[in-house]
Amino acid sequence: MSDVTATATSDRGFFGEANYPGIFGWILSTDHKRIGLLYFWCIVTFFCVGVVLGLLLRLELFAPGETIMGPQTYNAVFTLHGVIMIFLFIIPGIPAAFGNLIMPIQIGARDVAFPKLNLFSWYLYVSGAALAVGSLFTGGGPPDTGWTFYVPFSAQTSTNVSLAAIAVFLLGFSSILTGLNFVTTVHRLRTTGMTWMRIPLFTWSLYATAWIQILATPVIGITVALLFAERVLGAGLFDPTQGGDPIMFQHLFWIYSHPAVYIMVLPGMGVISDIIPVFARKPAFGYKAIVVSSLAIAFAGSLVWAHHMYTSGMSDMAVMVFSFLTFTVAIPSAIKVFNWLATLYEGSILLDPPLLYALSFILLFTIGGLSGLVLGAAAADVHVHDTYFVVGHFHFVMFGGTGMAFFAAMHYWLPKIYGRMYDKTVATVAWGIIFIGFCILYISMKVVGMMGMPRRYYDYVPEFTGLNQLSTIGSWILAIGLILMFVNIFRGLFKGDPVSANPWGGASLEWQIPSPPPMENFGEEDPVVTHGPYDFKKAGIL
Amino acid sequence: MNSQPLITTTEAVDKAFYVIFGISGIALLGITVAMIYFVWRYNRKRQPLPISQKDHNIWLEITWTVIPSLLVLVMFWYGWEGYLSLRRVPDNAIPVQGSARMWSWLFTYENGKTSDKLYVPVGRPVKVKLIAEDVLHSFYVPAFRVKRDCVPGMETYAWFVADRTGSYDLFCAEYCGVAHSKMVTTVEAIPAPEFEAWLQAKPIIADVGKELLQKHGCLGCHSLDGSRMVGPSFQAIGGRQVVVTSNGEKRTLTTDRDYLHKAIIEPGADIVDGYPPSMPSYEGRIPEEDMTGIVDYLMGLKAEGQKVEAKQAEETKEPAESVDPAKPAETATASTDPVSRGKELAEKNGCLGCHSTDGSRRVGPTLKGLMGSERTVVRDGQTVKVPADANYLIKAIREPSAEVVEGYPAAMPPYPGLSDEDIKALQAWLDTLK
Repeated sequence: MSDVTATATSDRGFFGEANYPGIFGWILSTDHKRIGLLYFWCIVTFFCVGVVLGLLLRLELFAPGETIMGPQTYNAVFTLHGVIMIFLFIIPGIPAAFGNLIMPIQIGARDVAFPKLNLFSWYLYVSGAALAVGSLFTGGGPPDTGWTFYVPFSAQTSTNVSLAAIAVFLLGFSSILTGLNFVTTVHRLRTTGMTWMRIPLFTWSLYATAWIQILATPVIGITVALLFAERVLGAGLFDPTQGGDPIMFQHLFWIYSHPAVYIMVLPGMGVISDIIPVFARKPAFGYKAIVVSSLAIAFAGSLVWAHHMYTSGMSDMAVMVFSFLTFTVAIPSAIKVFNWLATLYEGSILLDPPLLYALSFILLFTIGGLSGLVLGAAAADVHVHDTYFVVGHFHFVMFGGTGMAFFAAMHYWLPKIYGRMYDKTVATVAWGIIFIGFCILYISMKVVGMMGMPRRYYDYVPEFTGLNQLSTIGSWILAIGLILMFVNIFRGLFKGDPVSANPWGGASLEWQIPSPPPMENFGEEDPVVTHGPYDFKKAGIL
Repeated sequence: MNSQPLITTTEAVDKAFYVIFGISGIALLGITVAMIYFVWRYNRKRQPLPISQKDHNIWLEITWTVIPSLLVLVMFWYGWEGYLSLRRVPDNAIPVQGSARMWSWLFTYENGKTSDKLYVPVGRPVKVKLIAEDVLHSFYVPAFRVKRDCVPGMETYAWFVADRTGSYDLFCAEYCGVAHSKMVTTVEAIPAPEFEAWLQAKPIIADVGKELLQKHGCLGCHSLDGSRMVGPSFQAIGGRQVVVTSNGEKRTLTTDRDYLHKAIIEPGADIVDGYPPSMPSYEGRIPEEDMTGIVDYLMGLKAEGQKVEAKQAEETKEPAESVDPAKPAETATASTDPVSRGKELAEKNGCLGCHSTDGSRRVGPTLKGLMGSERTVVRDGQTVKVPADANYLIKAIREPSAEVVEGYPAAMPPYPGLSDEDIKALQAWLDTLK
């Protein structure tokens, strides 16, 4: 990548080159970096809303009985917390924000394959989000079904589930179109010398994710459309008195929503796979194994959906098959963890904020993944299914995994995009507070779940009080850490010291162009790639 | 009985937990220690330049693929084996039907006994056959590690055995609406002889109306003592003024039979102020005679000071007083006409909850055409035919289990409190039902 010559444009890079004045320069822009930032700010906003809702839930659970809200409000709040965090933060999170910002640069492209479609995807996302928010204030009030929308309850409740279903439908299309765009971009727009085995692991993970988005997301569209038909037309598809089957809804729902878990976590794994080599000054260990394991997760992850349904009443044979397949998915995830550790071995490790977040990803994701083994085993799952153990588990993999990866990506790539650096000391302190708060918050949940506290419980029996209070205290610590982290990084992006093109010493293409990158990234001539993304010797770093 | 010592569901499941937690604990410790050691040992201060640029080692990668594969197979096996123990019900298990509805449980034993708590004998397996009346629910007893969803339209099951006495929490684990977290009861494990005695004890039907409310799960959300639950309390609901929202408009109405009926069939139509619109419709789920019984009972729940007044007011209106058979409703009526007095007695004592007047079949035989007909009854195990005359009527009311009409259950409690005069009045009214 030494052939890349950074063409000096204005200091402000793409920020200084809008095609339209003011806000229109953003909302009508087809530039992948501008669209990436549109996504980023929406996603961060919704993340903050989701966090506030989560804090309210924890506050309500501080003591048994009514603490700050009534049961109907509580049910609406946990539904909203789930819908916002899943559909508006974690699914689009890394691919739509950082994928758009970084992926085209990593493969030496000037933009994604279909820039207008990319902007349209953002509009679908915003429309879906607007409808989801609108469902709170219209119709029969905020949906109270949980993000899983299980029938028959969701078909009967008088709350505004229909509008929320349309919102999910639109968000699904946004996700499908982004997936299509990314697959095409990776196939068609790689620059000269960017062979498949020189693609950075972050882009590889987006590529694997994009395939799941294309193949699995239509199923959620069908599912919510059928739910809509059930509610509005009384179709009876899931009503046993009319020849329907409520368990069929669960199958349809999880045929998307389990692969969606990998849509959520694979890009996070990609971020970690990119960060660790840079801060250890060592090539990613087992590059090919990581690539293969990403594709294996994308494939095998599509075949395990019914492990959410061991107690649902489906056949014992199905339980056996899905339990077995679930354990096979654990293997590629384990391989990744070992490869990351081996990358650290014999390296030269700099504990800067991006690496701290990446390391906490490994630890928290491992804890989450291991507790996933408990859930994969049929007998153990029967006890902990639909308890706080599950809530703790998926927060470990989703927040401890993808959330931490999102923060790692923020600390790693935002200085590149904005051309300014945050305060690393404050970032490190914030990381420590977040880590401690996180562990208190979610380990308490796992323990209280092992004791048998069911999830989605507004009220609980007195013996669960202590752990619930501990968990709530953890949520306050976590919140303090998050505030410190966001304030520090956003202050840095606008007021921090300017950074060079390559502040971390990375060897992939995004570090070879100025910070912030110029419009169309590479100036007059396309870059020519001559070495792999982690070849620090050839890149001149070592 | 099984000759082998019985393995409890708790033991079967916990084995899987120990294996998985054991392996996971070691793996987590190894990964954490390795990570911390590497970060310390290869820190850039200690190690300014990387020692190597190794980026693969085929044997290492094979090792850490194969070993985890074997370990997860072990975990799969223990999980599956424990699961099978949950599915294989011992032969001697006592069957109980568990019925889940928004937001309460009802357990029905083989002899017809019902309870909202699950009483089980210690040391004897129990198979709970699970059904759901409305939406998904899930039967979950953490102490026994059992959980199974209750699904509308299908029957599922769970079994367990309590190895010591105690009271164990029983939760609904599948989200089912506003009072999901209130759908909590207990498993009461008691010694086998005590259980037998409990099972055989006839329920004292002190309050038919209350029984009906319990049977249909009304009391899961509506209290009888004025305390606030999910829905408004039933305390003094008969003839009470309530503020409701109908089609978005607030209005005040006085509860009457029509209102109560509508509130059960079409609960979303008038929402009581300050409560969520979360009650499901019970249309088609409560049989007509039970519905009448419930509405009768509710109309009878009046505020203290209101009672006398109400009684007077109701002389010409719908009667809805106590249906306690041991203490027949005071008639407090000026009716001298025996026919209308008999009708009132029948209504006030709840006869019409079980006996129709139009020839239709309910819990008990119809009253239409009763007097003067020939009854085929079971007396001391013998089927005999008897004429339905005045003596028959007295016996049927005071001692209903002595002669039970063929094809009907011996379910009617005796009504010893009705005087001869009352029964004569009833007969006069029954004579009109041809």
